[in-house]
Amino acid sequence: MFFEFPFEIPYLLTLLLVVPLTGAVVTLAMGGKRQKYAKYSAGVFSGITMLLSLVLLFTPDLSVYNESYPWIDTAGLRMSYILTVDGLSILMVFLTGLLVFLSTVFSAREKDRPNCFFALMLAMEVGLMGVYTSADYFLFYIMWEVTLIPMYFMISWFGGPRRHYAAIKFFIYTHVASLVMLIGIFALVFGAAGGGIADFSFEAVLAGSVAFGSTFQMLVFGLLFFGFAVKMPIVPFHTWLPDAHVEAPTAGSVLLAGVMLKMGSYGIIRVCLEVLPEGAQYWQPIMIFIGVLAMIYGAYACIAQKDLKKMVAFSSISHMGMVMISMACLSSTGIEFAIFQMFAHGLISAVLFMVCGMAGHSIGTREIPLLGGIAGKMPVFAAFMMFGFMASLGLPGLVGFWAEFGIIFSFYDYSVSADMIWLIAFCLISLLLTAGYYLWAMQRTLFGRLTDRIDLSHIHDVSRPEAIALGAICALIALYGLWPDLALGFVDGYASSLAASLGVI
Amino acid sequence: MFVEYTWLIPLVPMLCFVIVGFFGKKMPEGGGHVAIFGALFAFAVSVLVAYEFFTSAAYSAPGYVTAQIAWFSIGDFGINVGYYIDSLSCLMMLFASFISTLIFVYSIGYMHGEGVKKRRYYAEVSLFLTGMLGLAVSSNFLEMFVFWEVMGLCSYLLIGFWSFTHPSGDDAADNAASAAKKAFLVTRLGDVCLMGGLFILLYAFGSLDYLTVFDTAAMAAVDPNMVLLASLLIFGGVIGKSAQFPLLDWLPDAMAGPTTVSALIHAATMVKAGVYLVARCFPLFTQNPELMLFVGIIGGITAFFAATMALNNMNIKKVLAYSTLSQLGYMFLALGAGGYMMALGIQSGDTHLIAAGAVGYTAGCLHMANHAFFKALLFLGSGSVIHSAGTEDMREMGGLHKKMKITSVTMLIGSLSIAGFPLFSGFWSKELVLETAMHAGSYGVEGYLFTAMWVLAVVTAFMTAFYMFRMWFMTFKGKPGHGTEHCHGESPKSMTVPLIILSVFAAAVGCMILFGFDEYITTGINAAGQFQVGSGHGHGMTGWLEDIFMSAYTYLTVALVLIAIGIAYLMYSRKSVDPGKINRNGNSLIYRALSNRWWFPQLYNQIGWKLGYGVAKGVEFVDRQVIDGTVNALSSAVVGSGESLSKTQTGNVRDYAAVVMAGIVALFILTVVLFYLMGGA
Repeated sequence: MFFEFPFEIPYLLTLLLVVPLTGAVVTLAMGGKRQKYAKYSAGVFSGITMLLSLVLLFTPDLSVYNESYPWIDTAGLRMSYILTVDGLSILMVFLTGLLVFLSTVFSAREKDRPNCFFALMLAMEVGLMGVYTSADYFLFYIMWEVTLIPMYFMISWFGGPRRHYAAIKFFIYTHVASLVMLIGIFALVFGAAGGGIADFSFEAVLAGSVAFGSTFQMLVFGLLFFGFAVKMPIVPFHTWLPDAHVEAPTAGSVLLAGVMLKMGSYGIIRVCLEVLPEGAQYWQPIMIFIGVLAMIYGAYACIAQKDLKKMVAFSSISHMGMVMISMACLSSTGIEFAIFQMFAHGLISAVLFMVCGMAGHSIGTREIPLLGGIAGKMPVFAAFMMFGFMASLGLPGLVGFWAEFGIIFSFYDYSVSADMIWLIAFCLISLLLTAGYYLWAMQRTLFGRLTDRIDLSHIHDVSRPEAIALGAICALIALYGLWPDLALGFVDGYASSLAASLGVI
Repeated sequence: MFVEYTWLIPLVPMLCFVIVGFFGKKMPEGGGHVAIFGALFAFAVSVLVAYEFFTSAAYSAPGYVTAQIAWFSIGDFGINVGYYIDSLSCLMMLFASFISTLIFVYSIGYMHGEGVKKRRYYAEVSLFLTGMLGLAVSSNFLEMFVFWEVMGLCSYLLIGFWSFTHPSGDDAADNAASAAKKAFLVTRLGDVCLMGGLFILLYAFGSLDYLTVFDTAAMAAVDPNMVLLASLLIFGGVIGKSAQFPLLDWLPDAMAGPTTVSALIHAATMVKAGVYLVARCFPLFTQNPELMLFVGIIGGITAFFAATMALNNMNIKKVLAYSTLSQLGYMFLALGAGGYMMALGIQSGDTHLIAAGAVGYTAGCLHMANHAFFKALLFLGSGSVIHSAGTEDMREMGGLHKKMKITSVTMLIGSLSIAGFPLFSGFWSKELVLETAMHAGSYGVEGYLFTAMWVLAVVTAFMTAFYMFRMWFMTFKGKPGHGTEHCHGESPKSMTVPLIILSVFAAAVGCMILFGFDEYITTGINAAGQFQVGSGHGHGMTGWLEDIFMSAYTYLTVALVLIAIGIAYLMYSRKSVDPGKINRNGNSLIYRALSNRWWFPQLYNQIGWKLGYGVAKGVEFVDRQVIDGTVNALSSAVVGSGESLSKTQTGNVRDYAAVVMAGIVALFILTVVLFYLMGGA
């Protein structure tokens, strides 16, 4: 790395949890007359969190920040408070810090109970940071559940007309999945303990995993995989996602697509692949099938959507399908680019959802058939939208292209070794479909004759806070696109050691 | 000395893009002068680099110079970024930067009235130039692909330049938006194939560097079927980008953009990227004669089909667009025929055949350079006409010669050149193309197919001369039309000066062949068994003159061209022959087929609509009704019919929490039971 952060900040990982937590409490207190300060409080706390996560990026040896304290330590059960960060989680931590801060900036003009709104976002950040840094299954599970609750309220308090339906659907779906996941976790922990002390730490489970039999690996992989994959989401357990996105406020959607979906794929890599290599081998064809299905199905569903935001939601399904096939290659390249795609998609989907949010509140509708010729009225909005769409369809020189290129290459590698070279055609078709729905959407919203189906008198272009947030993410998309090693450098070592442990390099 | 600074060639236009994009609003002409400076600078560096490359002895033996740095890696495979200069890249960057400079200067006059949109225009054309020049100097396939796609993006943006707030109304805006989308998607289809080819190459060779992939030893180690598949996929990308049959339909629609864009992107430079790529991949493609046969046939068919569609079109830009397609077909025919002979020569070890194949390579590249000049000239000329007549319909023009002398004469030079009138640029390269096709016809089992392509190409030459002069006579001669009355005289100097400069080049560039062009732009296999660009021996002035003027076929083509010009003159200038009698006033089947573009657009719309939107509708139905329907039905069954929603709307999450907790306990017990059953303890 060309620059190294000179100091070691004590308790950095704990601070990543404590700062947003404090921020949430403080911001919540900014009710009533103090409402106008809520955004500043949220901005400061999320800004500090982002800077802390940025420090991690410039730390050469991440292991100095490991923290470990016993929590529940009884004769039969040991749960600890362990936080670590490694090649898999560092990009996700950075992404969380970045997106929470930028969506706070983006929503600076929120007028409806801003203290609650920003407090929920910070609370969500606690959970997200917790999921990505915890190295103890119990803590991991708690943090996993912590992310759900603020998101639930975010949708049901600040959402659109069908917000209650969407919120409850989101909650039940992901909750049922996480219960299945919990069974898997119990199975793992007790299986690894082998009758001894049930230690919930990642390390202990990993050490005990050598004793897992094939059937056990197969079954438990199935449970955990289901739990994580619903979050990603996978077809056919995906219908919560479009509903949740359509109803969620913009900042909620940004976090939901940008970081929360990645919890699923993060979990699959962290738990399923790390601990259950044999199970992974067994489930590989099914994962590939699910991934390919999600890619094609999601892309086709996008073409038929009339709501811009719903289209983007389905495109998330399609792009997360890419993450799935990439992980399922079980190769070093595949895992590396799965993580890279998680990061890339996090940045790009943030732009996409912000743009959709703006369409909703500055034009007044997101319905594609009602729009048209908007580029003439809102040039800056159009530029951002085009940038986001182009990045998402994999324009070379932007971050999404390298992710897709690496993924399809590793998938090609897999399909050659599996003697099914034609599988690659599905990926290429999905690329084509992706270009199709984005360009068609742009043609119908931005270009062509100016719409006369809606009232355009109150239309206004991008406001300053929105432009700052979008501009920052777009700059990062271009930066990582020109210099993908900035992100790949973190992941490389982790991916190759994981692939080595999977027995496939 | 200069070669080390090759990276400046794409970088400076890139900087201009950034500068114009961010600060162009406050600059005069929306930053047009910055864009011109960028293009001019790139041209100057290109000249210096090319000069050094051609004169320095250090580069003449290997025939290339390359340097690269590591960019990042995909698994174990390193991806580099750098430059690769050989005579093909030199040719490409020289004519691309030179023509761009002229077109940017022309744009100052042409785009003068566009107001705030000028900033966007100059930013986008600068970015385009980055893509074009970057493509020419790239040192590996992936870098090339990045620039390839950047050009695609710029093409999309510039075709859609007027896709909103179009000066001539809403229909035109809709049309431009649709054309831009079509161009991007059709080329994307090709690009996706190209990407597939890159995966195969990267996997097979472990690198995408030109040097590694084109190494004969490395190629011999790779499964020939994979090489063939990769080459086919790469050629798929070429078909998309250079608008060859059957993906040729986007280019005529792309004329919805400003005429300068049509001249720059859709005639002189971007569509040549495909030709460049085939020429660049010659070592790969010549592994297989059948592949080269395929390239040649695609080229021949495109040349013929596109020319037919130009015969009765009334839109001046569309005629030129079809003729671009047709001329691109010629280039692929030449490359295919040359490559076919070369591939046969490599297989049989016949050096004579390899040398004969090299002529095809030279012919393709020479025609590429020639075409860049005369087609840029013709498009800019048509732009000048449209600018002052205010219409694109040739029926509303006529008699413009009196009002626009410079435009008229320069366009006449361009038309003579493209028609292959003896001693004009186009004549040399076209004769060379035809000669190669003829020559290839006498080798190999499938050689007769090239003879058939030669027949098509000769007929195409006849049609080319006819439609070009039809265009010229309809525009500049005959009775003044509606648009002519609006015409307010010759265009401004910034437009006519580039026309004059281009017309000189359009007339004379082809004569390079007489002065040893073929010594530099050729390919062959050197003593070490390596492919080398520019390794051949010049045929020299007398050699070519002999070859061309001793051949009876040359006189046949020239005679056909003269007859075609004569017919056009009788029909559209003297009007002594009525074309309406021949086509039954536009009702004959052929006429309708041509004006409907052989029904290609309808076919593509149907396919695209069914495979895209039709399937999507099905997926949407499954998603909403089947999957989500099941979910909702399940939830109502669990919580009680119809009450599920109303209950949840009270926000009574506590009940759910209780259920969830009970669930956790139950599941925990289940886990423990399962765990003991499976004998973990």
